[in-house]
Amino acid sequence: MGTDETLTIALSKGRIFEQAMPLLAAADIRALDDPERSRKLILDTSDPRVKLVIIRASDVPTYVQYGAADLGVAGKDVLLEHGGEGLYEPLDLRIARCRMMVAGKPDPGLAMHPGRRRLRRIATKYVRCAERHFAAKGEQVEIIKLYGSMELAPLVGLSDLIVDLVESGNTLKANGLVPLEHICDISSRLIVNKAAWKMKHARVNDLLQALRGAVASSVPAAAD
Amino acid sequence: MNDERWLLPAGIDEVLPSEAAELERLRRALLDLYATWGYELVIPPFIDYLESLLTGTGHDLDLKTFKLTDQVSGRLLGVRADMTPQVARIDAHHFRREAPNRLCYLGTVLQTRSDGFAGSRSPMQIGAEIYGHDGVESDVEVLRLLLATLRTAGIDNAYIDLGHVGVFRGLARQAGLDRTQEMALFEALQRKAGAEIELLIGQFDLPADIGAMLLGLADLNGEDALERARTVLSNADAAVQAALARLQAVANETRRWQPELPIHFDLAELRGYTYKTGVVFAAFVPGWGLEIGRGGRYDDIGRVFGRARPAVGFSSDVKGLIALANGASPPADAPGPVLAPWDVDPRLQAVVDALRAGGRCVIRELPGEAPSQTCSERLELVDGQWQLCPCAVPDA
Repeated sequence: MGTDETLTIALSKGRIFEQAMPLLAAADIRALDDPERSRKLILDTSDPRVKLVIIRASDVPTYVQYGAADLGVAGKDVLLEHGGEGLYEPLDLRIARCRMMVAGKPDPGLAMHPGRRRLRRIATKYVRCAERHFAAKGEQVEIIKLYGSMELAPLVGLSDLIVDLVESGNTLKANGLVPLEHICDISSRLIVNKAAWKMKHARVNDLLQALRGAVASSVPAAAD
Repeated sequence: MNDERWLLPAGIDEVLPSEAAELERLRRALLDLYATWGYELVIPPFIDYLESLLTGTGHDLDLKTFKLTDQVSGRLLGVRADMTPQVARIDAHHFRREAPNRLCYLGTVLQTRSDGFAGSRSPMQIGAEIYGHDGVESDVEVLRLLLATLRTAGIDNAYIDLGHVGVFRGLARQAGLDRTQEMALFEALQRKAGAEIELLIGQFDLPADIGAMLLGLADLNGEDALERARTVLSNADAAVQAALARLQAVANETRRWQPELPIHFDLAELRGYTYKTGVVFAAFVPGWGLEIGRGGRYDDIGRVFGRARPAVGFSSDVKGLIALANGASPPADAPGPVLAPWDVDPRLQAVVDALRAGGRCVIRELPGEAPSQTCSERLELVDGQWQLCPCAVPDA
């Protein structure tokens, strides 16, 4: 039923787009434009029934939750912050992999002994993850929401620690910071709108199986 | 801030004349529909003791409920965020009859956070429930009434999503999961988060066959899910088999009434898992990413109110239905308003009263002011009698 309906897939530019396209190629979906060069926000693909929408990474779950896109590719970091409510995330695409970590100055005294009077300040873009991590450890912290360049915060005394994504660790190293605690592994997930899952089930499922096959056969990228 | 007194709180809306008229037409049509099916209207209070609002319904409703302190009793009050528990209380407490009870309700609910329809926090909830009957027949009746509700609103391309909480609950019991494990797995299942489900089942260290069944549950969705479930869940215990059989019976019976209806099974979709006990269902419409009606069986919710009874029902949001109906509910085929001049002649008043008694809208002209509505006719004194004359309608 409904095999001629359009499927809309939400993607963010950059790493997720670059690493998701080879997987989508397994389902015969190839972008006809390069989002890095085109200003178009809706890209046609080699499959006339599939469109790609190019949006900010943190907007992908919202588009999919409300059905503005049927499917999407979103980092687990973004899903943890979004809450993942009203979405399915049936497949770990094993792309755009990194780790969510606590990092700070290499000062074990400050980092390891929470017996001070002042609450430790944590600068992060990932407020929910940071709250949950420190709550699970039984430590009350003060969280400062930043939108980028978290590494700067401990250097200028804005925070004691940061919670951020770490891929190679080079940015931390360049700023004299070290990773201190591992919170979780991050990779990108295929996410699906609930209504699309029910009403376009055959097509969504075909795409899911094709991607599942592509993920299984791709050599798992070594986690940095 | 003081300059923005017109501004409404987030998720709160006001309904203006043409939409309000449409809303009211649908409201009446739905209540009339339920009356013809034998559902009696009840009107629960807008505000209630918190504990009776939240009873047996789980954490979600607690977060959604606005709370305040009662200055009379010192107890916490809540503004209803869902009317179902209130209606269950009415059945359990006020009706001593054993016979099945059919109740319906309609009213505004208030929610601290929105869960759908364009971010509204004040949906107009409408629903119907059957108490005192446990069987496929009442499951199907309620499902059919939900479909009739959608049709009345002009929505006739709905999809139905069907599931049964007994399948997962039975498997979790068979696996001997504790409450924490069960809820962790439930939460991952609701997101169909394959990687996490696999991880959790690995951690639980279950016997291979029950682990495989729980893992398979995430994939048991689609039109053929029940057929596949027979193989995938063949080693499940009697409770699970009974749940699958019940689901099949509900689907068969529904198809008999509506062979064209697209039915999608999803054995891992467990809306209201903490208080639902049987079949659960939701309605979807193409082009809309959220469900527009939902329901299911929640036996025993009345226990805390003094009487446990089987219960099954559904609810929807009239404002959401209007938004989706796309003006499909036909406007009333009534003639336009009549303009009556400002005149103290008692004969005019008699004619106006007669017209109004017959259901016509008659607008009395205020001296020097034209009415805001376009009138199709006008009362004029012709040959000593007040008569309807066509208004000069400007060409559209």
